[in-house]
Amino acid sequence: METLGYLIDGFGVALAPHNLMFALLGAFLGTLIGALPGLGPANGVAILIPLAFSLGLRPETALIMLTAVYAGAMYGGRISSILLNIPGDEPAMMTCLDGYPMARKGKAAEALAISAVASFIGSLIATVGLILLAPVLADFALTFGPAEYFALFLLAFATLGGITGKNPMKTVVAAAIGLMIATVGIDNTGVQRYTFGVLELYEGVDFIIAIVGLFAISELLFFIEEKAGGGKEKMTVNKLSLTWADIRAILPSSIRGGILGFVAGVLPGAGASLGSFIGYTLEKKVVGSKGTFGEGDPRGVAAPEAGNNGASSGALVPMLTLGVPGSGTTAVLLALLISLNITPGPLMFTQNADIVWGVIAALLIGNFLLLVLNIPLVGIFVKLLSVPPKYLLPIVTMVAFVGIYSISNSAFDLYFMVAFGVAGYIFRKLEIPLVPIILGLLLGPEMEKNLRHALDISDGNWTILWDSGLAIGLWVFAGLGLILPYIVGPLLRRRMKVQTGTGGPEGD
Amino acid sequence: MTFNDRIFGVLLIVLAVAYGWGATQFPEPFGGAEGVGPETFPYLLAAVLAVSSLYLIVRPDPDNAWPWSRTGVELLIAVAVLIVYTMLLQPLGFILSTLLAVGTLCWRMGATPIKAYVTGGVAGVVVFLVFNFALDLALPLGLLSFLEVN
Repeated sequence: METLGYLIDGFGVALAPHNLMFALLGAFLGTLIGALPGLGPANGVAILIPLAFSLGLRPETALIMLTAVYAGAMYGGRISSILLNIPGDEPAMMTCLDGYPMARKGKAAEALAISAVASFIGSLIATVGLILLAPVLADFALTFGPAEYFALFLLAFATLGGITGKNPMKTVVAAAIGLMIATVGIDNTGVQRYTFGVLELYEGVDFIIAIVGLFAISELLFFIEEKAGGGKEKMTVNKLSLTWADIRAILPSSIRGGILGFVAGVLPGAGASLGSFIGYTLEKKVVGSKGTFGEGDPRGVAAPEAGNNGASSGALVPMLTLGVPGSGTTAVLLALLISLNITPGPLMFTQNADIVWGVIAALLIGNFLLLVLNIPLVGIFVKLLSVPPKYLLPIVTMVAFVGIYSISNSAFDLYFMVAFGVAGYIFRKLEIPLVPIILGLLLGPEMEKNLRHALDISDGNWTILWDSGLAIGLWVFAGLGLILPYIVGPLLRRRMKVQTGTGGPEGD
Repeated sequence: MTFNDRIFGVLLIVLAVAYGWGATQFPEPFGGAEGVGPETFPYLLAAVLAVSSLYLIVRPDPDNAWPWSRTGVELLIAVAVLIVYTMLLQPLGFILSTLLAVGTLCWRMGATPIKAYVTGGVAGVVVFLVFNFALDLALPLGLLSFLEVN
C-alpha cells in the first residue's frame, strides 16, 4: 500500500492551513467563474495563473488553488443550466434537459442541491479512480522512450478535437500553428529561430500571455459582437426541502454517472461533454419507462452532472501521469505546471511526489468544501447570474491586463496579449479551435526534444519512430482520432443535438 | 459562401512556405551538423501546415459572417481601447487609465456613460488597493503619484 502512504503525506500537504485556505478560495472563485456568464473554466483558470505567480505562491499552493478552481468551475456551470436553460459551459448541456423542467416546476432549489450532491459523488468516484489508476499509469509510462513520447504527443493532438469534433483538419492546422509559435526563440543547440532580432523573443513566446490573450480578449470581442451586454433576468430560488430519501433516490444514478464520466475523462478524445451525454443516455436506458426523463426527473439531473464532474477529474489522469492534457482546462493547468518548473509526466510521481499527492488530496478536500459551499451559498451564486456582462467583461479584461503586467512589468507583453486576442477572435470565427494552439505551444519544446533524442539514438533513422509495438499502437490510435470524427462524429453530434434541441425525451 | 477557409488556407500556405524557408536560413549549430538540427522539426511543421491548409482550400467549411458596419467599428474601438490602455498604463498610472479603459468598454457595451465610468473608477481603485496593500505588488500610480504614502 505504497499509494496509501503517499496519499497520507498528500493530506499532510493539503491540510496545511495556508493550503487549505487557498483551496477554499479556489473553490469559491471556481464556482464563481463557472456561474458567471462569459467566463469559462479554461478562461478563468488562465486569468488566475499570472496572479498566482505574482503572489509568489509556492508551487503546491498554486497548484492546489487552481485545481480547486478547476473543480469549482464544474460545479458552477450547472447553475445557469438549471435556472435559465443556458449551459454555463459545454459539459453542463445535458443538465438542462431535466434541470430546467425541475426549476419550472418550482423545484429549482432541489435541482441545485441534487446536482451539487451528484457532482460531489461523481468527483469523489473519479478522484478515487485517479488515486488508483495514476500510479499504475505513471509506472507504465516510465517504459516510454522518446519515440513513444513523440507518438503520444501526436495522439494527444489527434484526439483533442474529440470524436464529436467537427473538422479534424482544423485541429491539425491549429496544432501546427501552436507548435510553430513554440519554435520561436533560442533552441537547445543555441540557434536563434524566428526571433527577427527582437530581444523579447529570444526566450520564446510566453504561453501564459498567449493563453490569456486567446481566451480572455477574444471572449470580450465576441461579447461585443453579439451585443450580449445586457444581463439576464433576476432569478429567485424557492426554499430547499430535500429529504434523505431524495438523495438516496439519486445515489445509483450518480454512481453510474460518475464511473462512466471517469472513464470518458481518462480516455483520449472523449471528454466531459461526452461523459455527461453517455451518463444521461445510459440512465434513461437503465431506468426505462419508470422515469420521467425530460420532464424534470431528478435522476436526469444527477447522472449527467456526476458524469461531467467525474470526467473532469478523470481528465487529470493523463495530464498528471503522461503530461498530456485532453481538454482545454487541463491544458491550462499543464501550463501552470510547466511555468512552475515542474516537468509533468511519470517522473513527477517520484520527483515531486509531495506536490502530486498534495494536489490529489486537495481534490478530495476541495470536493467536500465545494459541497459545503454549494448548498448553503447557492443563493449568492444565483445572484451572480444576473451580473450584466457589459460590466463584468471589461473588469475581467482589466484583471487579465493586471495579471500579465505583474509578471514582467512590460508593455510589450500586453501588446502581445492583445495581438493574441485579435488572432483568437479570427480563429474562432474560422472555427479553428484554440486548445490545440495552446497545447502546441506547451508541448512543442518537449515534442521536439523527444524527436531529437529518438533520432540521435537511431543515428538519423526515421523508422525508429514506429519501431516498437507501443509506438505503433499510439500511431494507430492517433490515426483513428483523426478519422473517426468523419465516420461517427456526424451521428453522435446529431443525437446530442436531437436530445438537447427539443429538450424532450426522444425514443432512441 | 466558403471564402473564409479558402483565403485563410492560402495565407497559411504562404506562412508554411515562409516558415520552411526561414528554417533553411538557420546557421549551423556549434559543433557541426547532426542528424537532427534546429531545422528538422520546423521542416516537419511546415509540411504538415501546408498539407492541412491545402485541405482547407479544397474542402472549405461554410463561412461565419464577419461583422462589417457598426459592430465591426465597435470591435475596432474595443481593440483600440486595449492598445491605448497599454500605452497609457505607465504614464497615466493604473487608476486613471483603468477608469478610462474599463469605463469606455462598459459604455460601448451598452452601459450608460455615468454608470460605465463609475464602474471603471471603482474597479481601478479597488484593484489598485488590493494589489498594492493586500498582495504587495506595486502598480504604477502615474499622475496620481503625489498621493503616494510610504
